[in-house]
Formats: sequence, C-alpha cells, structure tokens
Amino acid sequence: MTDEPPAPAMLDLPGCLEVSAPATLATIDIVQDLFRHLWAQHDDIDAATRMRVEVAAVEVLTNIVEHAFALDTAARVTEQRRITSALVVADGEVQVSFCDNGLPAELDLSRVTLPDDDMAESGRGLAMALASVDELSYDRAGGRNFWRLRCRV
Amino acid sequence: MIEFDVHTLASGVGVIAPRGRLNRVGAGGFTDQVGTLVGAGTHRIVVDLAEVAFLDSSGLGALIGAVKTTRKSGGDLRIARPTDEVLSILELTNITRILRPRDSVEAAFDD
Repeated sequence: MTDEPPAPAMLDLPGCLEVSAPATLATIDIVQDLFRHLWAQHDDIDAATRMRVEVAAVEVLTNIVEHAFALDTAARVTEQRRITSALVVADGEVQVSFCDNGLPAELDLSRVTLPDDDMAESGRGLAMALASVDELSYDRAGGRNFWRLRCRV
Repeated sequence: MIEFDVHTLASGVGVIAPRGRLNRVGAGGFTDQVGTLVGAGTHRIVVDLAEVAFLDSSGLGALIGAVKTTRKSGGDLRIARPTDEVLSILELTNITRILRPRDSVEAAFDD
C-alpha cells in the first residue's frame, strides 16, 4: 500500500487505449470492444494469448463492477462511480490497468483458488485471471483501487 | 454483445448456438434461452460453441447452471465444437471433466 496513487505510466506509452465509463455491466462490453481495437493493431499476437489476456481482464473488471460497488445505491453507481480502463502493448507484453473509486477490495490474491466443486456456478473468476497472465496486482491508494495485469507475448 | 440461434433437431434435441461473447453480460441471455427450451419440454440440449468468441467464468457458470437445469428435468446438456481458444478456457478450469466437448452438434447425444 502507498499513500499516493501510482503514476499513470501506461498512458505515456505509445498506442495506449483508454476508456472511462460508469461502473455498470455494460462497461464490460465497452472494454472488450476496446480490446478488439488493440488486437487489430497487433495482429502478431496469437489468438491464445489474446484470449488469456482478455479473460483475465474481464474477470477483474466483472469483479470490480460486482463487488467494489455492491453497497452503493443504483443512483450513485450511475452518477459517480466510474472505472477507467487502459490497454497497451509495450516492451514485449500486454499491459492492462483498471482504476475505480469503489470500496477497497477485501481479498488476498495469494489465497485465490478454483472451487473444489466442479459443479460450482461461481467463484472461478480471479483464479482464472491469476492462471492466465504473468502478473496480476492490486493496490489501494488515494481512495481508489488500482488493478494491473501483465502478460508476455 | 451476443445473439442466440435456437433450433430443434429431428431427434428432439434442442440446439442453442450463441454468437458472440459469453461473458457476464451474455450469460443471463443464455440462461433465459435454456429456461425457455426446458419450459417448452425440450430437456436434451446441445450448446454449439463454434461462434462463441469469448468465454469467461460467468459463461462457464451459466453452462454449469444449464447442465443442472436440464438434469433436474430428466435431460442433459452437451457442448460441441469449441474453438481452440474456448477449449483452452474449458481445460484451464477442468470443466472438461463434467462437460466433454463433442465434435458434432448432431452426434452430441450419440454416446
């Protein structure tokens, strides 16, 4: 944990795509449309890597929408709560970041595992994200949540 | 975004072919399609994954929920024709242990 928000280094990288949108489920499709633009610019990245990165990113994003704002009223979600998503390919890796002003995430990424029950209908998201990328980190600073994903290509 | 093609084979097996992303947004629509088919008396369903471009844990949860729904009514659900990328997600999560992908929609209930 740090007192100051991390510097937005990704936004200084050439080709970085960014979108800010309300913290609703519709934002998932918006970010996946943004991925489509990113992949169109990097046709050298194979389909398997694309799927790994996109699954990890969407799992984190879904987690943010469903948990970081769970205690909000519908009005506050649409009026104030937002998620900023940034995607870039640089230095031989895909980098993804999410920043939101929701509640702190109460989780320990080192203890996230797949459910024991194969027939469980939920609880796989963050385990899939961790298994899909080379680095997944979470930080809380300045009243905001920061998620960062990296995947070598 | 996602759309669903739904039809019934001569054998009475229902086929749902999602086209697009089976994420948290698309999962609800998929569950509705399964509920409609089962409610109309179709208890054996094949999900044709050929046009599913993206599958995450929400989509997997909807598939497992659909397996339970069909089995509760005495039927079953099978999946067919996943792309290599979707298959990798199924294998990553061990879902292939309960949902073995079939090569053909028409033959999905042959064994």
